[in-house]
Amino acid sequence: MLNADDLLALGPLLALLAATVLTLLLVAVRRSHGLAAGTAAVGLLACLALLPGAARLAPRDVDGLLLLDPAGLFYLGLISLAALATCLMAYAYLERFDGRREEFYVLLLAATLGAGSVVLSDHFAAFFLGLELMSVSLFALIAYPAARQRPLEAGIKYLILAGLSSALLAFGIALIYYDSGSLQFSGFGACFGARPMGATGQAWLLLAGNALLLAGLGFKLSLVPFHLWAPDVYEGAPAPAAGFLATVSKGAIAAMLVRYAGETQLHDQPAMIVLLELAAILSIAAGNLLALLQDNLKRLLAYSSIAHLGYLLVAVIAGGTLGAEAVAYYLLAYFAMNLGAFGVIAALSSGRRDGEGEADRLEDYRGLFWHKPLLAGILTVNLLSLAGIPLTIGFIGKFYLFASGVGAARWLLVAALVAGSIVGLFYYLRVVIVLFARQPAAPAPGIAGNGAAWASALTLSFLALTLVWLGLYPEPAMELIRSVHAPFYRTEVSRLRLRPPPLRPSLRM
Amino acid sequence: MTAAFYLAAAIALLATLRVVTGFDAVHALLYLIVSLLAVAVAFFLLGAPFAAALEVLIYAGAVVVLFVFVVMMLNLGEKAAAQEERWLQPGIWIGPAILSGLLLVELLGILWGLPGVPGRAAVTARQVGAALYGPYLLAVELASMLLLAAVVGAYHIGRHRPEEGRDG
Repeated sequence: MLNADDLLALGPLLALLAATVLTLLLVAVRRSHGLAAGTAAVGLLACLALLPGAARLAPRDVDGLLLLDPAGLFYLGLISLAALATCLMAYAYLERFDGRREEFYVLLLAATLGAGSVVLSDHFAAFFLGLELMSVSLFALIAYPAARQRPLEAGIKYLILAGLSSALLAFGIALIYYDSGSLQFSGFGACFGARPMGATGQAWLLLAGNALLLAGLGFKLSLVPFHLWAPDVYEGAPAPAAGFLATVSKGAIAAMLVRYAGETQLHDQPAMIVLLELAAILSIAAGNLLALLQDNLKRLLAYSSIAHLGYLLVAVIAGGTLGAEAVAYYLLAYFAMNLGAFGVIAALSSGRRDGEGEADRLEDYRGLFWHKPLLAGILTVNLLSLAGIPLTIGFIGKFYLFASGVGAARWLLVAALVAGSIVGLFYYLRVVIVLFARQPAAPAPGIAGNGAAWASALTLSFLALTLVWLGLYPEPAMELIRSVHAPFYRTEVSRLRLRPPPLRPSLRM
Repeated sequence: MTAAFYLAAAIALLATLRVVTGFDAVHALLYLIVSLLAVAVAFFLLGAPFAAALEVLIYAGAVVVLFVFVVMMLNLGEKAAAQEERWLQPGIWIGPAILSGLLLVELLGILWGLPGVPGRAAVTARQVGAALYGPYLLAVELASMLLLAAVVGAYHIGRHRPEEGRDG
């Protein structure tokens, strides 16, 4: 059962939960856009403020469902920061939305809570529920302007594919449970490692279970060949929701994959590693090549995010402490870059009347620098960082991935990473050239005349400064990531495992 | 006992196959209910009578009720009556009827203890409740948040809004 220390350790998650309910109740009492956004922002800040307290108690195992280790809490912090940025940008974006705006923040907080449970989960029940909470909230966020056709279409596409991926996950989990008799990640880790493949009659069950699990996660991460939904959904979703989808939902799954691989010794299963390698190389190739053909900025970012998840898999496959650190740093970079890029789209779209659609065609950005230098400058920094140009955080992140790939001697993956980055330069720089073109398009109504524009401008400037600062001086972030991945915590976690498992009814056949 | 399980599983598979290959929503619905009932029998045979009862009550029961509500709200008038008459033709209900008849025979066989009632210790509702409010308390909390988010999302998207345009 829970005790006082458990509650303190769960503080950040409880803050998110309380903020969700409080925002909902306030909406019921009085509808005010500023109040809802403010409550959500305060809730996210409270979650961040409670993190150090929780970290002092880490690592801590709560009922065998959640494992609060420093790395998981780091990801929770990252997710909360991303949600805070989304919240502020959505405040500016929704100001001229002529429908109900307040529910957006309730759903945003619920999705953040789901993502937080996913990164801290140590048990398939907690993982699956967190994932569903995230997906269901995201589907409503994507289809938020439900009076328009394209967001609704995108929402339905996401809903159906999220359902399919959940079905695959549930099937995979059932097979793994049938074979190992445990739903806790650490519970069946031993059973993976100890048994050579094909040695017993049931090994194929584990193999099939893990393959289904990876396919389900692949849908959420939009890895090739499960990527077909991503461009359509990104294009249809309102820009702040698309940014949240690209960063938080994918980042949470990627962080969970790292934890899962570590706890279950996935690296001892060569077949799984081959599958992951295949997905990584195909994602890098397809994402980059298809991005070259796009003339819609949101679709371009969707394909680029497919490629970036492929890069990230290089470090997941490399594994070990260096691999986990590389994933953490790259996710930090990936969050900042994508939130910034989608934030600029949101800022340019927020001046438009409902129904005109979003400023997402490349044409909308022709010569943007000459009438909106700040937004164009921020977008340029984000695109250069996505391309991995030195002096930005994207370069340091890629370098980290490169180092982990080299360290694990995964030469094919390293070659794909380098080749993909070179192709990537073309389409990112193409957008930058359009931004500085001399013939400006008809000036977009843009952010001016919007009373909430300051929130968006503040967030975007902060994100852009972070990109450059952590690109020039990456030490503080690296130190933090290294300290949360210290080997000391691994031994602490294995010591926690020696306790008898909590009572659980056996439903095995 | 094992044979009974495989019979229920085979019925579930066959019915599910008909759900996904059928073109008529009502056909598919009938087979879906048979499939859910078969899964409930399988649960019962595995020693989980509580899960079996929930399967029947929530899935088979609620799906039918929801569908009836949707039909009632959407298809009003003579056209709907004609359609309902079409649904009552034997070609439509004979397949699900045979399958659910098989299930009924199987269930009666189990209840009268032909090859032996499940030999293993059954998981009672009390044990399920103790697990949910003991080690799985956090999971229950997460599930409640999931329902809350689903309700808020459905409310927002499904809200009737005459004042706004239909398309943009």
